[in-house]
Amino acid sequence: MKTYGSEPGAPDPDPIRVGISEFVVSDSGQTLKSYGLGSCLAVGLYDEDSEIGGLAHIMLPDGDANDASEDKPGKFADTAVRAMLRQMVEKGASYTDVEAKVAGGSDMFDFESFGDGVGQRNIVAAREELDKLGVPIVAEEVGGQRGRTVVFETDTGAFSIKTADGDQEVREL
Amino acid sequence: MKLDVNALGTFYQMAQEGAGLAAGRLTRLTGVDTRVGVTKLNFMRGSDIRAELADESKKVGVRVELSGGLGGHAVIVFDRASAIRLVETLQPTIDDAPSLPEGPDDAFDEMNRSTITEVGQIMNSGFIDGWADVLGTAIDVATPEFVEGDTAEAFLADVDTTPGADDLALLFQSQIEAIDTEIEFRYYLFPEHDAMAEVLERQGADGESGIEYDKLAGFDRLAQRGADEVASNVTMLTGIDTSVEIRRLNFVPLEAMPEEIDDEQLVGVAFEFDGTPSGYLLFLFDESSAREIVRAMVPNEPDDEFGQMGQSAIKELGNIMASGFLDGWANVLDTTIDHSPPEYIHDMGAAVIDPVVIQLGENQEFAFVFDTVVQAADREFDCNIYAIPDEADLERAINDLPMNRIEDAPTKAAIEEIETDP
Repeated sequence: MKTYGSEPGAPDPDPIRVGISEFVVSDSGQTLKSYGLGSCLAVGLYDEDSEIGGLAHIMLPDGDANDASEDKPGKFADTAVRAMLRQMVEKGASYTDVEAKVAGGSDMFDFESFGDGVGQRNIVAAREELDKLGVPIVAEEVGGQRGRTVVFETDTGAFSIKTADGDQEVREL
Repeated sequence: MKLDVNALGTFYQMAQEGAGLAAGRLTRLTGVDTRVGVTKLNFMRGSDIRAELADESKKVGVRVELSGGLGGHAVIVFDRASAIRLVETLQPTIDDAPSLPEGPDDAFDEMNRSTITEVGQIMNSGFIDGWADVLGTAIDVATPEFVEGDTAEAFLADVDTTPGADDLALLFQSQIEAIDTEIEFRYYLFPEHDAMAEVLERQGADGESGIEYDKLAGFDRLAQRGADEVASNVTMLTGIDTSVEIRRLNFVPLEAMPEEIDDEQLVGVAFEFDGTPSGYLLFLFDESSAREIVRAMVPNEPDDEFGQMGQSAIKELGNIMASGFLDGWANVLDTTIDHSPPEYIHDMGAAVIDPVVIQLGENQEFAFVFDTVVQAADREFDCNIYAIPDEADLERAINDLPMNRIEDAPTKAAIEEIETDP
């Protein structure tokens, strides 16, 4: 990812922070982390046999309707899921074995301008795209009114969530 | 000349490319892993830039003069401690490494100065190469100059392109985080007025849309009036004596906003506002400041500061602050701006702002963010205010602003009736 110094040879840190509108695919067991998702959505894809995984930190639902998706496929639910899956298969993942876990998409505010909720739109879009591609969602924790931090360990496929509730308990999906 | 979003987007891209190249070069030189942190375009008054440089901490910088495709000055400024760490990191690679200054007032010796200058210059050229790439031009760099001190003068003396106290300058701010080592720095670019005009001309889309460069002062007027009203309303309601510490107008990609906010838990109040402009307004406190507010406002201190009583106290304060802030804006713009009832939040920093980012992200890529910090002198009270107007609305509002109104818009301190929750 460009964020980590754009000159070749700069090493990747671990865990890798997956910022908003980014996605990262790892075939070397790195831990991927997205902090403080509110209405944004985290989609993790994993192929257990090849231990190849990817995490996307999605901001908006519909990339096919937006020119910006060419430069930033990670920003949109549909294009992020497709681009991530393609990269995983290129790295050796088996398409038919890839499973998805999804977290985030809260609706923190009840503003009139938000309509049905900005988080909800991302959840619907991600589910639709995964369904279209035949990737099963094996676990999800979406919606509600709390922020979440997601940690995805690509060596084991462990996908855990921390919320800001009193005890800051970590749950594994 | 006009500032339009295309041109500002180009400036942003320059800042980001530059930071990427500089980070990569720093990593190759020192072997320290680096990560490009938040990159921002700031509109800052000359007096605020000077205040930032004169914050009493000792700093070390490397300054260069630029000419060619972009004329002006660029300065990289390290905290003294960061500069020392940088030299320490590099020392094992230097034969006969010099000793570092021991006391806080000891000067860097000649060898240390030249090490810092070398690193500074390598990073400078990273930034400048990045800008040249984006602008498709060549930028010439003069011999680097080592500067040191705890006053603005130390860094800005002889720089003829720095803005006057009340002039607004477009400033690049980049941050490179060195992983496992704390090396912090700020990066300033002071372009020549004519060079800026030329770049804006070349990058602007049609010369018709955009904000008149000379009306930039209108932005600052908005920021100032809004912030002053907030501080005086807080003082009136809570008795806590507050003042406006920082006031900036940032131009950032929406995605950068959640990254910029602390990962820690924040307590806040959010509003949507409607008028010219419409947008979103957030008041965010760290937890200890929020506790302090509850104690100041609730007569019998509750067991749980963030229970029902505490929440409604914070919402009430937020409501007063929002009315003050938006009244300040409405006065400058000679319009009315309505706001929603307060929404209370207590959550991770990034999660608090991303719903707004998502909502605005449907129609715009960048946002002007009025970023203000209000602090109390005698106790912990840190409030970050983020006002994020709809881009098209803001452009219209600023362009409709007569110049004389920018100069002398009246302010009134008004407290509206508080909306109570059903």
